[in-house]
Amino acid sequence: MLEKSTKLHKKFWDIFAQQDRHKIDEFQSYMDKFAVNFNLYKDGNFIEQSLPFDIIPRIISKKEFSKIEKGLIQRVTALNLFLEDLYTDAKIVKDGIIPKEFIESASGFLKEFVGFSPSKKVRTHINGIDLVKDSSDDEWVILEDNLRVPSGASYPLSIRDTYRKIYPDFFENLKIEPIKNYPKIITDSMEYVSTGGINVVLTPGRFNSAYYEHSYLAQEIGAQLVRAHELVVIDKKVYFKNYNGKKIRVGSIYKRLDDEFLDPKFFNPDSLIGVPGLVEAYLAGNVALLNAIGNGVSDDKGIYYFVPKMIEYYLNEKPILKNAPTYLPYFKEDMDYVMDNMEKLVIKDVAEAGGYGVLFGHALTAIQIKDLKATIKAEPRRFIAQELIEFYDEKCYLDRKLQDRKADFRAYVVMGEDVKVWNCGLTRYALQEGNYLVNSSQGGGFKDTWVMEL
Amino acid sequence: MEQLLTANIASSMYWLGRYLQRLEGMLFEINRAYDLIIDVDNKAGTALYKKFNINLKYVSAADFLHKAIRGKHTANLGEMMLQARENAIISRAYIDSVAFGEIIALNDMFQTLQTKRSHIDGNDLDKALSLILIIWGAHAHRGHRKSSDYFFKLGKLVEEVDLRLRLDKEKAMTELILKEINVAIKMLNPELNIFDNCPKEYIDELPYAMMECIYATIDKLIIEE
Repeated sequence: MLEKSTKLHKKFWDIFAQQDRHKIDEFQSYMDKFAVNFNLYKDGNFIEQSLPFDIIPRIISKKEFSKIEKGLIQRVTALNLFLEDLYTDAKIVKDGIIPKEFIESASGFLKEFVGFSPSKKVRTHINGIDLVKDSSDDEWVILEDNLRVPSGASYPLSIRDTYRKIYPDFFENLKIEPIKNYPKIITDSMEYVSTGGINVVLTPGRFNSAYYEHSYLAQEIGAQLVRAHELVVIDKKVYFKNYNGKKIRVGSIYKRLDDEFLDPKFFNPDSLIGVPGLVEAYLAGNVALLNAIGNGVSDDKGIYYFVPKMIEYYLNEKPILKNAPTYLPYFKEDMDYVMDNMEKLVIKDVAEAGGYGVLFGHALTAIQIKDLKATIKAEPRRFIAQELIEFYDEKCYLDRKLQDRKADFRAYVVMGEDVKVWNCGLTRYALQEGNYLVNSSQGGGFKDTWVMEL
Repeated sequence: MEQLLTANIASSMYWLGRYLQRLEGMLFEINRAYDLIIDVDNKAGTALYKKFNINLKYVSAADFLHKAIRGKHTANLGEMMLQARENAIISRAYIDSVAFGEIIALNDMFQTLQTKRSHIDGNDLDKALSLILIIWGAHAHRGHRKSSDYFFKLGKLVEEVDLRLRLDKEKAMTELILKEINVAIKMLNPELNIFDNCPKEYIDELPYAMMECIYATIDKLIIEE
């Protein structure tokens, strides 16, 4: 179902109608030329592919975006307070808001870091919050918080740049919020928490799915793009190894790899993409890591359930943006509901991401339902269940015709001295009609998001 | 000029310059041989590839182009271009964006030439050479201000010398390019000079072994730990 067309949409379509459709090929070739890639490993092979994109932007009015912005600032502020509290005093647990065993069983909770507070007490530096717009009440709903290594911001930056080159009319005639400030917001955050030294982006390397993004962002934020062995830790301080042998102190690291691979001396000893000794330097307060180690606990889909409670607990405010109605089989009442209503629910594995571990009850056979019920009963902490939200489709220009596809929206929220929401985001759409999974790793495409006013 | 750069990026910029120059140099030589094969010397292609220790067999000028560009040998231009692209992707943050885009386009062109069934003709060579000129031009307008630009330039010059030495080209010009290499190296490390510790006969006679002196200097320039 499509959202009701507004005056903003009409303005867009009026200009679109006057554009040369042949230029769409030019658009594609321009994007290809700049290798806007998302790499995949399939059957053991490295596949380098262009990320599918669509030229019809999602349009959000400035007024509507302003509400999203307020809600996201509130949410990320609360999440940061939660993480800081959890790893220091754990008052939220002591006060019984979140069960202790629920935290301790979260795979992203790293008890080795209890008692450590990172630079300026900022933990949620760069966050990707996934939302959809519910067609039943026209409200935006949060589906997921990504507080570890959210990717994707470079794609709207690239498509916007291409759009401006190929179709300048839109930007001359419409009031579209500019988005070029994203690198500056990231740099400000890195500088704010820096312990003194240069900024670097730590990438697993050329064959990572998001290498394009790592390289693009490093360039845009003016940081050095480094692989693990290009950093060295000496006396609990991190240094960048220059080509001529000089070593330059590093103050801030935007890490683009998961915690478990970050330091083979501390985490996975087999990690070839980590920096030996990095955690020691971090714990000594000699380097800032964006995002903080241990944030994985808040990406746990079970913890997501408690975010509205966190907002009330830490900020004494009502949540501005709501969660999808969620059930935790961990609680008996919720378990009963899930067992009775599984056919209409969406079941998610709490530790999975990227669209993996998501099952739609309506698409399961009776035997699959039975098996799933047994699995949930055996491992109630491992799953959450959510009501299926009928979120809006977006119009996409696919195969040379306009088609409707389910689309979500990843908003980027950056915390430094204050919390900022980028005036854009990643709108992801499903390639197949009716599909609810829009993730890039599930073959979804992306489109630009225009925050506009009349 | 001082710019932070990992050894990996320095090396990638250097190799990007080398592969692009190798491609350009080969395209010029292939073009020249192709022209000779048509109606002057039908063995010109064989003679050219012998210099690269490749025994290239062909039956016509058009066949020579096919074999030169997509033949299974160490000077396959598609493979060369893939290497250039790989280095460009690794170091894209340091490359002019227009130059990067044209490198991707050039690679697409060569990969298409590797598979297409229709004949490759001289026009394809001209198109490829035009794209390379755009890449050099786009990058040159940065003004060689940074270390990464000097590594790129260095790679280009080293490859020029390599080809000239292999093909026994005019010595005076080769000497001039060697001086340019020294200028680029001095910008990156004033203490290095390719002629230091280089045997006198190498400097005087410019055999292919002269490349060893260049490589020894570059090994000191890019310190891989």
